[in-house]
Amino acid sequence: MADILQIVDVDKLREEVQSKYREVAEKPEGDYHFHTGRPQAIRLGYDRTVLDQLPEEACKAFAGVANPFHWDKPKPGERVVDLGSGGGTDSFFAALCVGKKGRVVGVDMTPAMLDRSRQLAQQLGFDNAEFREGLIEDAPVEDGWADVVISNGVFNLCPDKLGVYRQVARILRPGGRMMVADICVEKPIPESAMHDIDLWTG
Amino acid sequence: MIRGAGLVDVELGPPVDTFAGAGGEEKARQFGTYGYPIRARKP
Repeated sequence: MADILQIVDVDKLREEVQSKYREVAEKPEGDYHFHTGRPQAIRLGYDRTVLDQLPEEACKAFAGVANPFHWDKPKPGERVVDLGSGGGTDSFFAALCVGKKGRVVGVDMTPAMLDRSRQLAQQLGFDNAEFREGLIEDAPVEDGWADVVISNGVFNLCPDKLGVYRQVARILRPGGRMMVADICVEKPIPESAMHDIDLWTG
Repeated sequence: MIRGAGLVDVELGPPVDTFAGAGGEEKARQFGTYGYPIRARKP
């Protein structure tokens, strides 16, 4: 099979992804190909003792595909990076886990999502969370800064998956943990389908 | 691929039928698409 980076128009894919998630940021209750909001987080098994501390507004634009906190949660005082932080639900969940002595940095490329999560952080008093604009393939976080890297439903949207995992390895301190959630396919995807940008974004 | 990036102790958790009942269910079924938690560690 040909190199996926030669098959997919990466710039076009990013534009489509931004367009889709701008829509989710601005109209989180809309009808999408994926489930959204607090009901989806509950369905995926998020720890209710933490999730229930988040107000409705912080969960509305959640569009996760599984539970990155399935095995473990970040610990008090830890530093967490959320790659593709979207509306910020997972970042705020992590911010509750790490507490005032910890830090959470969300990275996202979609300005509408960043606006939403920054506004919510301010409104809800999450002084330990900040959101930075950037691509997860070139995340604006220094080497070895994080104890934990989280992400949910984002890596699948990046054609250069090895590059993304290399970023995770770069950002983590030695001994640091990657705790992510993503979709995997059981059947091979034909090359013709990889050209179909609609299939990437749903 | 994850190991190739320099991470170890890679583990895949149980699948979740994340698109069930959503608009994307039909396409998800076509390719056997499920959500998974994935963890690993930097040595």
